[in-house]
Amino acid sequence: MGYILTEEGKELVATVKEFCENEVKEQCKEFDMSGEFPENIVKMGAEMGLSAIEVPEQYGGVGIDAVTCAAICEEMAKADAGFYTTMSATGLALRPVLIAGSEEQKKWACDIVLNGGQAAFGLTEPMAGSDSSNTKTVAVKDDDGYVLNGRKCFITNGGIADFYVIFAMTNKSRGIRGISAFIVPKGTEGLSVGNHENKMGIRTSNTTDVVLEDVRLPHSALLGKEGMGFMIAMKTLDMSRAYVGAGAVGIAQRCIEEAVKYSKQRITFGSPISNHQAIQFMLADMDIKTETARAMVVQAVLRQEQGLSFAKESAIAKCYAGDIAVQVALDAIQILGGYGYSREYPVEKLLRDAKIFQIYEGTNQIQRSVIAKSVLKGM
Amino acid sequence: MEILVCVKQVPDDSVKIGLNSSGKPAVDGVTMVANAFDTYALEMATRLKEANEGTITVVAIGPEKAKDALKSCLAVGASKAYIVNEDGLGDMDSLTTGYTLSKAVAKIEELNGAKFDIIFCGKETTDCTTGMVGAQLAERLGIGCVTGIVDIELKDGGISVKQETEEGYNVVETSLPAVVTVNKPAYDPRYPTMKSKMAARKIPIGEISKADLGVEDDKIVPSVKVISLSEPPKKQAGVKINEKTFEDTMAKAMEILKDAKVF
Repeated sequence: MGYILTEEGKELVATVKEFCENEVKEQCKEFDMSGEFPENIVKMGAEMGLSAIEVPEQYGGVGIDAVTCAAICEEMAKADAGFYTTMSATGLALRPVLIAGSEEQKKWACDIVLNGGQAAFGLTEPMAGSDSSNTKTVAVKDDDGYVLNGRKCFITNGGIADFYVIFAMTNKSRGIRGISAFIVPKGTEGLSVGNHENKMGIRTSNTTDVVLEDVRLPHSALLGKEGMGFMIAMKTLDMSRAYVGAGAVGIAQRCIEEAVKYSKQRITFGSPISNHQAIQFMLADMDIKTETARAMVVQAVLRQEQGLSFAKESAIAKCYAGDIAVQVALDAIQILGGYGYSREYPVEKLLRDAKIFQIYEGTNQIQRSVIAKSVLKGM
Repeated sequence: MEILVCVKQVPDDSVKIGLNSSGKPAVDGVTMVANAFDTYALEMATRLKEANEGTITVVAIGPEKAKDALKSCLAVGASKAYIVNEDGLGDMDSLTTGYTLSKAVAKIEELNGAKFDIIFCGKETTDCTTGMVGAQLAERLGIGCVTGIVDIELKDGGISVKQETEEGYNVVETSLPAVVTVNKPAYDPRYPTMKSKMAARKIPIGEISKADLGVEDDKIVPSVKVISLSEPPKKQAGVKINEKTFEDTMAKAMEILKDAKVF
């Protein structure tokens, strides 16, 4: 069970696990109820370097291998998927900079993240989620740089980011080829944080609107070239998806652990329910799904690390892990019965947390489109 | 400032350990960790180092596997580590441990080319809980010792420490070098960062053998003989007080305490 890790990887994962067990898991229950942001826990996680696990060694990062990164994501999500989301959203926003940024931009962004700063990836808009061609945020170029206007929504870390990567139309007539990506530092005039979403799950993460009103940026804020924005965003999402799958696997694994614990304690008809085949088969199915999803995550991240094609595999990993996390959470609730439905027990939260994994970073319908396109093209 | 922190690797103290069929502690499969009080000592030493300057060395006596505890220390403040290989040292009690550590201190000072100013120990280990090793070590080294401290600062070329007592704390000042043993301070040991954890892996751990120490064989014969070990008695079921009113409940509780001669 679990990942095949190097000695170094085992030590790192054990460190993250210990931290999450002691400082995240129980503490985040309260924050889930209240919807408050666990500022101190996030600060501790960032100080440990959990939002910087993907910073490359050449920019001062630790140089953690892909499978270890996935295992770290799983540990974080196992404790609290909202905490995982906060940490990984910074990595998500850093990626476009690493993909298309200049050396100066990369160094600047990596330094912020390595020093415990957070970042936000701003692609989604009220009318442009899966369909980016409908992006309404515009960036108008003049002699001094660009002026951005628009509104982004559902932006993870929107209210806490030290910098934003904002996607905006520089040439509407070119559709998705008219989208460009910009780095917007926190505190830039005209940039403000809108409504914080009162969410069903991952309630310990910060999700807000980000409003851009005459935000003036220098030419040096552009990532890559004009019109490259959509390509940068897609590449970013292709790369991050497998790790999103790892987060979903973390929730599924937690569901198994909670269900096993309960089934060994709960007595019906004179015996722990774990002795009943009906429960055993449910646990077996939960484990089959979780192990399969984990194996797919490993396959996707290894392909990426080894320079092989990975877009389809990442999509499968994210889509499958997200789907099974929801199924496994439902099963965990069923095994816990009435207690599973109660907020006194941890599994109802796991279902609420799992659901987002079928929605964010590309809905699972979009993942299926990506997979189908690849299947059709390949034969 | 040269600081030494003495560390023992012990079974994870969050795991309840019973006895195996041969009457020995059943520690097989239990994760081994750095003794909790030693981690408090290291955190206190690290804060002292950060507030001033200096180098922290950690030392452990134990098997090869005890290097794991030292590695974890290297990720949270220590920059040098030595392991004293337990081969040939036989069963150890607090007296022989104190003696062996004093020899290790001399050896490490020779290797480092500098004398230690402060030697930190945990106030006790969570496995044997004798609480004597720090004092034994100071005695062997012929230097002062303050036990059970919860805070430390440099003062007038020496140190000023808070020594925890039943009622509060004593403020004790002493010159250096000195040994201090550390109780749980007001703060927790820090977590390693991903970066410090990776960096710690690359620091070589110095190995010291019995021969390197130059211990005299007659001084490593334990004075304490363990005759037998027994598990603590099972916790008795408590008394349930279920009176109708709060006043009655309190009165009943007081009555029980009085009967038990608590006051």
